Amino acid sequence: MSMILLHTMQWFLLVSAGICVIRLLLGPTSADRLVALNILSGVTLAFLVVRGVWEKRVLYLDVALVYDIFGFLGFLAIARFLKDRMSDGEEQ
Amino acid sequence: MNVERRWHVVRFLLTSFFLYLVWLVFTASLEPYSLIFGAIGSVGIGALTHTVFIAEHQANLRYIVPNPLHLVLYLFIIIAFLYQSSVMMLRAVFTGEVSPRIVHFRTRLRSDVARMILANSITITPGTITLDLNDDHLTVHWLFCDTNHAKAAGERVKGRMERFIGNIWP
Amino acid sequence: MAVREWLALVAFASAIIFGTAGMIGMFRFPDPYARMHAGGLLGTTATFSVFIGSLLLAPDRATAARIVIIMIFFLISAPTGSYIVGRFTWETGLPVWKPKKRRNITDKEQEK
Repeated sequence: MSMILLHTMQWFLLVSAGICVIRLLLGPTSADRLVALNILSGVTLAFLVVRGVWEKRVLYLDVALVYDIFGFLGFLAIARFLKDRMSDGEEQ
Repeated sequence: MNVERRWHVVRFLLTSFFLYLVWLVFTASLEPYSLIFGAIGSVGIGALTHTVFIAEHQANLRYIVPNPLHLVLYLFIIIAFLYQSSVMMLRAVFTGEVSPRIVHFRTRLRSDVARMILANSITITPGTITLDLNDDHLTVHWLFCDTNHAKAAGERVKGRMERFIGNIWP
Repeated sequence: MAVREWLALVAFASAIIFGTAGMIGMFRFPDPYARMHAGGLLGTTATFSVFIGSLLLAPDRATAARIVIIMIFFLISAPTGSYIVGRFTWETGLPVWKPKKRRNITDKEQEK
């Protein structure tokens, strides 16, 4: 029973990630893309945890922990990069 | 020993202790080699980075060390807020009845950590997202706005949480 | 079937409901701020429900302890991510979308 639950959840998370990628590609402004990326990182985290419980391996959870803590650092870098590029465009 | 030097030592000890706690949680082992190596590492990193970790102007220990009982209690309160706000959001998604607006207000919390926690709590509670936090001035996007008055808006958005956080960092 | 599997079923079902609503909201609202509300908040809750369900189904104690630590850090990191996106959107100077208010139209009609 619990295997069925975890299996269903993995498929649901995969479909959610696909929808997030659609939003990421469609998004008219860069803010939309960042919103989609934010949700995508949460979905990835949940997928890692469910996968770790499903395969009964602790290694996946260690990866999820590090991804959780340092995930938004990459995010901050992307936001900073886009802002810099935007301000350069205004000056030129 | 003057005040400034003592404050340096206190910050150094706090940083090293916090780093050692994180090391213990992450390695989750009690072997002597791991314990000794973690202690050396946390003391070294603490000596190098304590000026960054706790800023100079936070010149009071009360602003940094939380009240542990209230902190654990607040964790459960925040989870309850999370589910309550999600149900509100669920209704808004399906009915489409929103009135978005940007509100500005000030907070009376003094500690940097408490302000950060307040900004994160505002993001979690129903229909509000913190857009900017500048010293004690908060810019909030509110999806279910029903008032134009700045003080009333501040009370509606942050009133309960500010009192809770005021208990954690008095 | 054990009690904790029923509880895990409830947690996963709420995760699916909140997650689906978040995806709908992300496509339905016309404005990045409102999309951030729908996607960010409902996505956080859905992920948190998945964590609760996984905690209930955890096979041993080492897994359960790691999931609890992940949950606590997630409560800090998820709003911080939303805050980074929100500040970026605010600093690019995007105007806030406002719905057409029915009240204004009726006011004008009353004036006429």
